[in-house]
Amino acid sequence: MQAKWISKKELKKLLTAWTKHYLVYAPIDNDHELAFQMVKEPARIVVDGYSNTRYPAKSLFLPQSEVLMKYDGILHSVENTEKEKILFGIRPCDAHAMQLLEHALVDVENPDLYWKQKRESAIVISKACIAPEETCFCTAVGGSPFNTADSDVLLVEMGEDYCVYVLTEKGISLCKELPDAEDTQLQAVKKLTKKVVGRMPVLLPKQELHNALMASFETEFWKDVSQSCLGCGVCTFLCPSCFCFDIVDETVRKERVRNWDTCMFRTYSLEASGHNPRPTKVERTRQRIMHKFAYWVDLIDEIGCTGCGRCVKYCPVNIDIREIAEKALHREFEGMKK
Amino acid sequence: MIRKKPAIVLFQCQYCLASSMDQYWVETELPENVKLIKVSCSGRIDPLYILNAVQGGADGIMVCGCMPEKCHYKEGNLHARRTLSEFCNFLNLLGYSQDRFVFHWMNIDERGVIQSLLTEFEKNLEKLGAQPHLKTRTFSQEKA
Amino acid sequence: MPTTRDQKIQAEAKRLLQEGVVDVVIGFTKGTLPYKMQPCFIQHAEDVEQLELNGLCSNNLAVYLNHRPKDERTAIVVRGCESRAVQTLVLENRHARENLYLIGVPCIGILDLQKIQQHEQDPVLAIQEEGDQVHVTLKSGEKTFQRSEILHNACLHCNHPLPVNADMIIDEAGLFEERTFDKSYLESFRSLSLKERYQEFTKEAERCIRCYACREACPMCYCEECFVNHSRPQWVDSTIDPAGQQAWHIIRAFHQTGRCVSCGACERACPMNIKMTYLTDLLNQDMFKEYDFEPGLDPALMPPFLALGEDNEKFGVGPEGSHAG
Repeated sequence: MQAKWISKKELKKLLTAWTKHYLVYAPIDNDHELAFQMVKEPARIVVDGYSNTRYPAKSLFLPQSEVLMKYDGILHSVENTEKEKILFGIRPCDAHAMQLLEHALVDVENPDLYWKQKRESAIVISKACIAPEETCFCTAVGGSPFNTADSDVLLVEMGEDYCVYVLTEKGISLCKELPDAEDTQLQAVKKLTKKVVGRMPVLLPKQELHNALMASFETEFWKDVSQSCLGCGVCTFLCPSCFCFDIVDETVRKERVRNWDTCMFRTYSLEASGHNPRPTKVERTRQRIMHKFAYWVDLIDEIGCTGCGRCVKYCPVNIDIREIAEKALHREFEGMKK
Repeated sequence: MIRKKPAIVLFQCQYCLASSMDQYWVETELPENVKLIKVSCSGRIDPLYILNAVQGGADGIMVCGCMPEKCHYKEGNLHARRTLSEFCNFLNLLGYSQDRFVFHWMNIDERGVIQSLLTEFEKNLEKLGAQPHLKTRTFSQEKA
Repeated sequence: MPTTRDQKIQAEAKRLLQEGVVDVVIGFTKGTLPYKMQPCFIQHAEDVEQLELNGLCSNNLAVYLNHRPKDERTAIVVRGCESRAVQTLVLENRHARENLYLIGVPCIGILDLQKIQQHEQDPVLAIQEEGDQVHVTLKSGEKTFQRSEILHNACLHCNHPLPVNADMIIDEAGLFEERTFDKSYLESFRSLSLKERYQEFTKEAERCIRCYACREACPMCYCEECFVNHSRPQWVDSTIDPAGQQAWHIIRAFHQTGRCVSCGACERACPMNIKMTYLTDLLNQDMFKEYDFEPGLDPALMPPFLALGEDNEKFGVGPEGSHAG
C-alpha cells in the first residue's frame, strides 16, 4: 500500500483527464438524489458532501436487467464489449459488498462471466466516509468507513486535500505521478479515522448472533418481526450485497434476460407444482435476515450485510435490520448454545 | 415509397356476427394488416389484452361485441362496455389517442357491416398516421 | 410527551383489549428513525402506551387486513382514507364488518419527507410537530414549516379527512373540513397535448425498479396472484424497460378504478419517488363524472365496474336501437 496526497483542485483536473481515456462512473446529482452514472461533463460529478447513492453501485456490475443472449432463428451470445472504466466515489460499504458478491458469483464452480468481465475491466476508487449518516452501521457488521476491501484506491477527504491510499497494481498505474504523503499528514488521517469510527456503533458478536438466529428458526420470533412487513422488494433491490436473480425469456423481444429477483416476493420460491416452501412473509423475512447474518457466516465466516443502511432508510414501514439483530441477540431461545 | 397500412387488432366476440358469411369472411379473408382476436365474449377482453396490442404496435383497436341484452352470457358486454370505454379514455390520457379505438355493438340484422366498418376505420387511421407512443413491446430489431 | 389525541387513542385501545372486545389493535408507534413511524400490533392492554399518531404515519393501516386472519377481531386506528379503504374491503367481502372496530381519528394530514428535505443528502435529524407548525432539524440547520407547506400531495388534494362509518371518533380537531369532490389539480395534466401527456407519464414510469412497494402498500391490491407475476402466458415484461414499466403503471392504476381511496400510500412507499396518484385520481375523476361515484363513502354502493347499471343512454344504444361508435 502506498499513501499519496492530492489537493482538491488537482483531483478535479485529474478526473477531467481520466474522462478522456476511460469511461468514468461517478455520483451525479439528479434533482433530489444521487446516482452512479457515466460522466459526460466532469463538472457535474459530486465529489464531496454526500453520504451515499440511493440505487446501489452493484448495478454497474450486475445490472437490474441484463441481456444474456439473443435469438433470431439462431442463438447469439452477447459479446464482451466491456471497456476499461473507472468507478469513482463508491463508498467502502458498497465496495465491501462487491467483495462479498465475488464470493457468491466468481469463487464458485461456474463463475459468472458477465459479472467477471465487468468487474475486471473496472478500477474502483472508493471514498472514505468522514461523516456517516444515522442509518450507517458498517462498523457493527465488520466493516469500517475507511475500509479498503475491494478498492484499488481509497480517498480520504482531509480539509482542502485528499489522502490517497493506493492499494493495487491497477491503482498504481493511475496515481503514480502523485506525491507521497508526509508522516504528519498520515498521523492526521489516523486521528480522523479514530474519531469517526469512535462515533459509530460497536461490532455485533458475529458467532453469538449466528447461534441465536439458528436457534430462533422455528420460533414465534419471526412472526413478531415480520408482522408489519408489506412484502415489497425495496430492502433487497437497494441492498448492495443481495444478488438473487431470475432468468426470463422475453419472447416478444427474443432475448434471454437476467433480472433481479428477491426472496421477499411470493413468486421467488414458488415451485412449478404450486408448492411454496416459503408461503408467508414470516418465512421470507426470516430468509432475508438469516441469509445475511447466519448463512453467510456459515459459508465464508463473514456477515453478508455491509451496513450501508439503505434498507433501514427506505423501508416503507421502517423495518430496521439493526433492531432485528439486537432483538435476536437479547432474546432467549430454547436449546441455544451460549 | 409504399406506406405501410395501419396495423389493426380486431377483438371480436364469437356470438356478435350473426351471419355465418360475415364470420367466414372475418376468419379467412381479413386483410393482412388486421389481426383477429376471437374471444368467447366481449366481457372476456381484459384491458391487458388491449394494452398488449397497443404496446406491440397496433395503430388501431376495434372491439366488436353484442348489443346490450343480447349477450350470450347475460351481461358480459355490459361489463366490457363500461371498463373498455374507460380504458380507452385512460390510454387517451397517456398518449394513445381515443380516435384509434372503435367500439361496435352489433345488432343481429347488421349483415356485412363489419367489412365497411373496417374500411372506414382504416381510412381514419391512415389520416392519423403511425401511432408514435406506447409502442414499446416490439422486437428490438424492429424498434430502430 | 403523548398528545391528548394519543392519550384518547390509548385509552380506547386499552378499554377494547381489557374488555375483550378485540384481539388486536393496529396502530402506529415510534420508529427507529426520527422521521419514520412503524405500524404496530398491540395484543396486551399494558402495551397500549406505544400507540401514537402524528403526521409521519405514512402507511395505510387497512393494508394489514389483507395479511391477517379473517376471523380475528381487530381494532384499527383509522384516518379518513383508511376508513374508506376498510369500507371498500368490506364491500368486496375481504373482511366482515362485525369483526372490525374502527377507532376514527380526524386526519391531520401526512407530511412529505421530500418536501421537508430539499435534497436527500440533507437528512432529517429531528422533527417536532406543534399544531400548525412543524419544526425540523436538518443536517444543514433548523427550519420551521407551516404544516400545509409540507403536506403530501395526496393529503393536499384529500376531500374526506373525516373517518367514515367508524365505531367511535376521537374528539380532536382535524386539519381541514370535508369538501365535495375536487380533483381540479388534474386539469393542468388534462390540458396538455397527447405527446406531452405521454412524456409526463414516461418520465415518471421510467424510474420504476419493479420492487412493487406501491402494490404492497396499497390496501386495495390483495390479489393472490398479481398480473405481473403471471407467467403462463407472461402478459407483462419483467425486464426493466419501457414496455414492462409502463404496462405495470397503466394496469395497476386501472385495476384501482373506482376503488382507489386516494391515500397516496403507494407514492410514499416508492423508493424512487415516482408520482402515481395522479393516475388513479384521473380514473376516479372519470368515475365521479360518469357515475357520480366516490370510493368508500357509501357502505352499500358497489364500484361502477362491479355494478352494471343499464347505461344505454350514456353510450347511445337503445335496446333495439342503432349502434354507436
